[in-house]
Amino acid sequence: MIAYVVRRLLWGVALLFLVSALTFVLFDVLPSGEPARLRAGRTASPQAIAHVRQELGLDKPIYTQFYDYIKGIVLHFDLGYSFYSHASVSSLIADRLPATISLAAGAVVIWLLTGVAIGIVSAVRRRSWLDHAAMGGALVFISAPEFWLGLVALFLFAADIGKFPILPGAGSYTGLLADPGKWFGSLVLPWLVLAAGFAAIYARLLRGSLLEVLGEDHIRTARAKGLSERRVVLRHGVRGAIMPLITVLGLDIGTLLGGALLIEVVFDIPGVGRLNYDAITQSDFPIVQGTVLLAALFIVLANIVVDISYAYLDPRVRLR
Amino acid sequence: MLHKGARRRTAALSITALLALGLAACGSGGESSVHQKAGESPLGQKLYGKHRGGTLIVYDHEDFEHLDPGEAYGAEDYTVLYAVTRPLYSYPPNSATTLKPDVAAAPPIISNGGRTLTVHIRPHIYFSPPVNREVNSGDVAYAIDRGANPNVANPYFGSYFGDLVGAEAAKGGPIPGIETPNKYTIVFHLTKPSATLFYGALSLPLSSPVPPEFVKPLDAHSPTTYGTEYLVATGPYMLKSNSQGKFLGIGYQPGKSLTLVRNPNWNPHTDYRPAYLNQIDVNVGGESSVIGQQVLKSTDAVQNDSPAPSIVQQAYQHYPRQITFTPGSGTYYASLDNARGPFTNIDLRKAVWAELDRDAIVKARGGSLAAQPMTHFLYPGVAGFQAAGGAAGLRVDYNEHPEGDPTVAAKYMKLAGYPSGKYTGSKTLQVVGSNGEPEQAMAQVVNQALQNLGFKTHLSLLEQSAMYDKYCTVPAQEIDVCPNVGWARDFADPQTVLYLPFDGHAITPSGNSNYGQVNDPAINAAMEKATLTVGEPARADAWAKIDDMLVQDAVAAPEVYASDAQIEGSDVEGVDQLWNSGAWDYDFTSLK
Repeated sequence: MIAYVVRRLLWGVALLFLVSALTFVLFDVLPSGEPARLRAGRTASPQAIAHVRQELGLDKPIYTQFYDYIKGIVLHFDLGYSFYSHASVSSLIADRLPATISLAAGAVVIWLLTGVAIGIVSAVRRRSWLDHAAMGGALVFISAPEFWLGLVALFLFAADIGKFPILPGAGSYTGLLADPGKWFGSLVLPWLVLAAGFAAIYARLLRGSLLEVLGEDHIRTARAKGLSERRVVLRHGVRGAIMPLITVLGLDIGTLLGGALLIEVVFDIPGVGRLNYDAITQSDFPIVQGTVLLAALFIVLANIVVDISYAYLDPRVRLR
Repeated sequence: MLHKGARRRTAALSITALLALGLAACGSGGESSVHQKAGESPLGQKLYGKHRGGTLIVYDHEDFEHLDPGEAYGAEDYTVLYAVTRPLYSYPPNSATTLKPDVAAAPPIISNGGRTLTVHIRPHIYFSPPVNREVNSGDVAYAIDRGANPNVANPYFGSYFGDLVGAEAAKGGPIPGIETPNKYTIVFHLTKPSATLFYGALSLPLSSPVPPEFVKPLDAHSPTTYGTEYLVATGPYMLKSNSQGKFLGIGYQPGKSLTLVRNPNWNPHTDYRPAYLNQIDVNVGGESSVIGQQVLKSTDAVQNDSPAPSIVQQAYQHYPRQITFTPGSGTYYASLDNARGPFTNIDLRKAVWAELDRDAIVKARGGSLAAQPMTHFLYPGVAGFQAAGGAAGLRVDYNEHPEGDPTVAAKYMKLAGYPSGKYTGSKTLQVVGSNGEPEQAMAQVVNQALQNLGFKTHLSLLEQSAMYDKYCTVPAQEIDVCPNVGWARDFADPQTVLYLPFDGHAITPSGNSNYGQVNDPAINAAMEKATLTVGEPARADAWAKIDDMLVQDAVAAPEVYASDAQIEGSDVEGVDQLWNSGAWDYDFTSLK
């Protein structure tokens, strides 16, 4: 088991290295703003531009820049400095991460509770009006772009601009430690919007998986043994059907911790996603690189956690 | 300078509904700009005698670029800097042409045939904590000295302060051409008789006094940490800071918020600004259409950057008293490569000018309140605009029909050697535009005009900074047409509108603002002469004549004069800076 985890971690490091290299190359190859010019101004003299390029290390060959970057991470956990604010990327990410974690954690709880419940009900009441309504509704939420759904939610329910002003709207995010009540209130709408699409996917996924499991022999055996239907479904059916959800959940959490970009932008939540979005529009490469690396790190870790959890949830799986 | 928000996105104002309303154009023909609330006749802005107190909420979906007066060069940064720092001279918000002494006590005394300026500084102006001392002439000298410091990377030092004696060799240390004979007097010695232009440049933030004892150690860092961590105020407001004067993490959270509070050391007796507000809270980030809604439905908020097109439409229709359009925000034109390719032929350039449907571009930008057809290169509000023909521009046939005139275009195509009236060469034009809105639509109109003339085109639409930095400002890329470039003045002098974009000497291998590589010896010589002309009326005339030459040479295809939109909450008595593309002036804005 330990050997497995170590091996996966080493692969993870290799993957992160590749992601970093790819980001470097993409930033260099694709048309984007010239950081030195953006920093120095469009009418800056060539000398001023050259100085800024030197100052930012942009005058070095790309492989040297990449080597310096990796060296900084490995030796000092230094992700570099923003081209604009000159703040350290690590501190900027650390400053933004609590908002992103808050957003992701609440949304995960909501979509798991609703998605799993709806999936089970739909599977158990297959082809009933409840099933049709639930799956129809799920299709709507899957199809609706998150960005659009967020705007609709704000225009309907936000305290400042909504038709039914009942919940704090965009820009109301408050840190958990600053004011837990306000923190909770400010995240209700973003949680619901972010969870809506995921809950719909999970509900459909679980329904399909559960229907398949409920048709298997061991379920018939359980029923034949006289177990209650509730026990059959929850104990024997859901346990078997939930594996695909675990796989997806791990990846989704990993992705979200890297920043729920659209939701953070719409609801003006100062999280990692918005940090990344702003950095992309400003060609602030160190931040882009840092946030991409963070997202990749979370996905790698989430994958490892998912694989390990398989062994506990499914007796047929053994880690080697 | 570039337009407000041009770094990432220019003002986006494509509002078809405005067109349907058939709005009358706001005053675009005069030397003086007018501030207009939508749906009303033009109003002068009420500047004095308003309610004091309160906190203004400012929404800004983009972050600030630079808060160092030595580095800042954007309309949105200026809104904060002109509330916090005071240059030697400044424009009151309702004027784009008349400078007022600010830290200076009076207009400069110009002597030595326009080679020397003597400026007296007001006494009793104090720096904010933790410096807490009176401003003197040495602080102004240091502020300008540091413009040449590579760690500061001032974007316009060479253009406007390069005529100071010894400026060429300056690296941040004392510039020989700046003397401070006493604590209230500063003397500038120039190598050329360019005092009028230099006087205008003293309205830029670079002339705002900076305390050397506090800032020199910060300037030793590469890049300087002044403006990113620390800032000392002389204006009515300061960034909320700790006792050491550090604002980073206190009054400014990058990408999140910025807080301006009253500067306890500000002396209102030395300042013409009323400073009604107690505090200004800037919220950075968010989605543009949400921000717009928040502002329109608020009582105490404004949007600092350009509102989304849908919000402009909504504001015009439902909140007409909460939206303003400021004429004279700058120009948009299509650069044509004068140096190589088909557009070295002047008749082909004239054909494009004649064919281009400028009215369609006005529509793409939101109609006649948001833009007016451009007829020449000086724009409303800039000295020389009227002398160069006003709104109608120079009377030449290719300039007569803003809706596009295929007949005149065909005439010039024939003169260019294409008897059919269509281009028959093998060249495929490289056209690089912006993928933002409404720039994309504007680029399509230009592209269509080129195709109507028979050109084969390859149109690439990119993120705006990429369009500028990788293509349109790099002559080696050999881009034939850049349909989304533009310009706005740095201050009232017409040289700031025409010199960098059209003088052959201004062409650089990268970061080139002369997008079409215009390099006509006659125009260059006229500019050389005009730069040395002393006196505002004489300069206006000289640059108006150059403007005529640019039109006669059809150096680019003009599109529109921009009028930027601003929105405010219901209880905000917002005041726009007419000299700064209509950006909010926090020193004059108040709450009811």
